Amino acid sequence: MSEYFKLLYNELFKIYVRKSTWAMYAVLTLLIIAPAVLILSFDDMQKEYTDNWREELQKENEEYQKDMAEMEESPGDFVEEYNSQTIAKNNYYLENDIKPLNYGAWTFTLENAGLVSVVSLLTIIIGAGIISNEYRWGTIKLLLIRPISRTKILLSKLTSVFLFALCTMIFLFLISLLTGAIFFGFEGMNPYYVVQTAEGFEHVRIVNEIFSEYGYKVVNLVMMTTLAFMISTIFKNSSLAIGIGIFLLLGGNMVVGIFSQYEWAKYILFANIDLKQYETGNVWIEGMTLGFSITMLMIYFVVFVVLSWLVFNKRDVAGH
Amino acid sequence: MSQIALELKDVQKTINKKEIIKGVSLTVRQGEVYGFIGPNGAGKTTTIRMIVGLMKPTGGDIKILGKSIQHDYKEAAQNVGAIVENPELYPFMTGMQNLKHFARMYQGITRERIEEVVSLVGLEKAIHTKVRKYSLGMRQRLGIAQAILHKPKVLILDEPTNGLDPAGMREVREYIRRLADEEQVAVVISSHLLSEIELICDRIGIIKHGEIITERYVNEDDSDAVEKKIKVVIDVNEPEDAMNVLKSMEVDVVQEGKQLIVQLQREEIPPVVKTLVEHHISIYGVTGIKATLEEQFLELTGGNVIE
Repeated sequence: MSEYFKLLYNELFKIYVRKSTWAMYAVLTLLIIAPAVLILSFDDMQKEYTDNWREELQKENEEYQKDMAEMEESPGDFVEEYNSQTIAKNNYYLENDIKPLNYGAWTFTLENAGLVSVVSLLTIIIGAGIISNEYRWGTIKLLLIRPISRTKILLSKLTSVFLFALCTMIFLFLISLLTGAIFFGFEGMNPYYVVQTAEGFEHVRIVNEIFSEYGYKVVNLVMMTTLAFMISTIFKNSSLAIGIGIFLLLGGNMVVGIFSQYEWAKYILFANIDLKQYETGNVWIEGMTLGFSITMLMIYFVVFVVLSWLVFNKRDVAGH
Repeated sequence: MSQIALELKDVQKTINKKEIIKGVSLTVRQGEVYGFIGPNGAGKTTTIRMIVGLMKPTGGDIKILGKSIQHDYKEAAQNVGAIVENPELYPFMTGMQNLKHFARMYQGITRERIEEVVSLVGLEKAIHTKVRKYSLGMRQRLGIAQAILHKPKVLILDEPTNGLDPAGMREVREYIRRLADEEQVAVVISSHLLSEIELICDRIGIIKHGEIITERYVNEDDSDAVEKKIKVVIDVNEPEDAMNVLKSMEVDVVQEGKQLIVQLQREEIPPVVKTLVEHHISIYGVTGIKATLEEQFLELTGGNVIE
């Protein structure tokens, strides 16, 4: 077992000793701080409610209704939907006598769930290079003559890619929280937050909400990284793997859209990646269940890993 | 005789229906330095890649201290150290970081051992510099260092003196010799520099078209090479008469002034001299010319040509 830890250490060392990895973290940090600056400069994005919050909410609702009435002539679907949703949410606060949460570090962190896609992108880049780079540098020859099976080397590489993802997720979470706290203040240890679900509004702990938002997006990260890892292991080409990985990370939904009229569309990987569809109730294709999707995801994951393993284990390491 | 360290038994490799290696067999004993030479494309590197486990033979077996590289990979690989082709190390890491990286892939390599190896290859000054900034010679030294870290019993070196200056070459040569003599390491060196091989090796195998066509000891006595024809120069007074005599004996002969150049096997020399004397030809000298390894190599391989 200690042998495996030493391999993990080696792989993580090779990831973090390179300057390009730190450049990735610099970009991620910038992507966290820049929106915070923007939000701070537009004050109405961060509503502050005082002890008179009931009246404030009512006033807000009236304004929204007035807005909607004015816009009757030129109806804007998006604005209308947003306004009516906000009104419904405000009513929920009033009916249940809950004071809305002021904007702060936790809310900011929750809104940064979108940046998990950036973490996915960085992880795909790392995962696509971890084997093909050894070929490019020629170091694969020195790596595969050691008294360690190729299976172990492959697994240590895949594991270290996921450890990189974990570290980067923790980095995203902590830096968001810190940036949020500095820019907007702290809402409290673990405040409640109102979310919209399939059954209407619900009152939840914000930390749980953050974990579930980040968690749903991690599914895509894991699947696309494993796919990129497989492609780069088979073709020894990281650019190809990065290209396909990122394209499908962002455009996977499109693939499902194209084939959605067919019965077999539910077996497409991308139809199953968004597990949030079972929470919100907007299931993409009829007849799909959470259990079905999890099974499909596991099958795809195992297929990706086994294909990488077969190719990596069997391949002769020949000249350039 | 010392123990066999490396054994190849009828090793074959077919890639895309093309026979690259057609049954190579060889043994290297502990403490022996074996030179592996052949023209480009003869199968040198393929054979070496199979010995270290980078490629899998399609037939035959390779054993390191009796353990098959195919069936007991871990135990066999434990005793092999190698540089395969150019020593390519991680350019963005220092020499020390590279060595520690590879040291972690074995059990029980101490800090002291790493430092010992660094001073053995003479890289103390540059060890904390990034490999990107190394010269080819420095990379070669680091390559040797990573190959001997775990005290392997079989050391495979592909062109180990490539890129070294003459002083560096001599150093490496002496070091390899010392490893073989003092630590009983079996060393396989492939090279295209024949003079290098001659200086360093005990035995040489020449590979051509995926087969070992000859194997010989470098400092071997001529008595060992009974089959081999030697070039013999005979100095005579009457070359024409001597030519007629020799032609009647059906030997290969060329006249060059008063000298006759004859291709003979060793045991043929006395009867030829005797016959010449019987025909009253005065002989002023008989000189056997030992072909250099270079000549033998060119003769055996037909030059450095890929066919």
